[in-house]
Amino acid sequence: MQKFFEFFGKPVIDTMHLAGGLIVLLFDTIKWVFIPPFRFRLLLKQMEFIGIQSLPIIILTGAFTGMVFAFQSYIGFEQFGGEYLVGTVVALGMARELGPVIGSIMVTARAGSAMTAEIGTMRVTEQIDALSSIAVDPKQYLILPRVLAGIIIMPMLIVVDVFCGIVGGYFVGVHILDINKTLYVENMYRYTDLGDLYNGLIKAVVFGLILTLVGCYKGFYTTGGSEGVGRATTESVVLSCVLILIFDYILTALMF
Amino acid sequence: MANLAIEMIDVYKSFGKQQVHSGINLKIIDSAITVVVGPSGTGKSVLLKEMLGLIEPDSGKILVYGENITKMSKKKILEVRKKFGMLFQNAALFDSMTVFENVAFPLREHLKLSESEIEKIVVQKLRLVGLQNIENKMPAELSGGMKKRVGLARAIALEPEIILYDEPDTGLDPIMKDVIGNLILETQEKLEKTSIVISHDIETTFKIADYVSMIYEGEIKFYGDIEGFKNSDNQYVKQFLSGSREGPIKIF
Repeated sequence: MQKFFEFFGKPVIDTMHLAGGLIVLLFDTIKWVFIPPFRFRLLLKQMEFIGIQSLPIIILTGAFTGMVFAFQSYIGFEQFGGEYLVGTVVALGMARELGPVIGSIMVTARAGSAMTAEIGTMRVTEQIDALSSIAVDPKQYLILPRVLAGIIIMPMLIVVDVFCGIVGGYFVGVHILDINKTLYVENMYRYTDLGDLYNGLIKAVVFGLILTLVGCYKGFYTTGGSEGVGRATTESVVLSCVLILIFDYILTALMF
Repeated sequence: MANLAIEMIDVYKSFGKQQVHSGINLKIIDSAITVVVGPSGTGKSVLLKEMLGLIEPDSGKILVYGENITKMSKKKILEVRKKFGMLFQNAALFDSMTVFENVAFPLREHLKLSESEIEKIVVQKLRLVGLQNIENKMPAELSGGMKKRVGLARAIALEPEIILYDEPDTGLDPIMKDVIGNLILETQEKLEKTSIVISHDIETTFKIADYVSMIYEGEIKFYGDIEGFKNSDNQYVKQFLSGSREGPIKIF
């Protein structure tokens, strides 16, 4: 009987513990937004790391997502002569869903994992304690710049992602599948508006927060030497991706 | 009685089921070197981290110059920490920064100095620990002994009131051990501050200690000046000094 409760109880308690830990860390970090010193240089450095350095991978995934999506939706639309709607569907899908989600997962893999590994290494080599011993709050020094950078830079990355997707879709639709150019663009304009993009950008802000907060949380509470850093990095990427998908559903349902 | 820098009163701490401190009472005399000895794994590092407020004890008081830090707000603790400098077991240098940036870090954080003033202080502190012309190296390029010395330079950059040394001599060859021992003594003489050194090395202890405190099974088993330590009848001290298997300190 005890085993039974343990089996079902442990995941529940672990999940509560994790959710609590993330929320406490979030509030601990936000508090420092208003307390000097303000570390603009660290913020810029993180924006460069999360943003600029992610550009190539974002351009690549954006373009390929749009291109593949154009092919796949063509299969469906062609059956009832609706090919000219491919552009609309690609633009809507990229802006509202595929751009933010796939883009954020790519940035998680690139930057979120690196954050966990870096902060985790600092933890196990006592560098975080050293920061504290110099009377510098490690949350303010390490976590705040990363979380802020994530929130600020993710929407910008996603705009690039969506744009590349639409260009990629246009290329496949018009040049490979021979859809009429004017109809393709016209329908895209007619059935989409800026609201669709804003929808995606709100998601991007939330996903940016998730991937940086989880990346920092898993790094900050790393234990167990270099093996622990490896474990934390894996957990960080898996957890970020899962949370991004869950919050994608929640946000979609709310903004439907 | 001499002034107290730090006083720990009835400090209890456990991690999960493991009780690390079961009622620590310890006095650290101001402007002297106190060495804390004891077998490995008896919570000596935890002791230092408690003094800094990095680890909060389960119960008990820790007074730093008369102020209890266990019930202090985070902001006030940051102020108290400015009185401290700590040399970590593996130096804990920031590995993304050069040696210069490491030593300059506390100065940049807490003092408003010009670049040339910072440079002057950094070079001077590195000289004090016997290093020069390594300012632009990364920590990964340094040997263990050099890392410790850079760590010490960083710890004393702000000329703190209290310097904590977490096993400064562990993992060093006998010559480097002697060098580090001398360094602690010299630093003490030049800066006239309070030093707390964690060690399990008898030679180092004899060389540098004014006062010795021995910790075992989460309690202070011995406290006194160095002469008292050398001539003590205390069973724990005797066993530790003779390095014997037989006695009250159990191996398992």
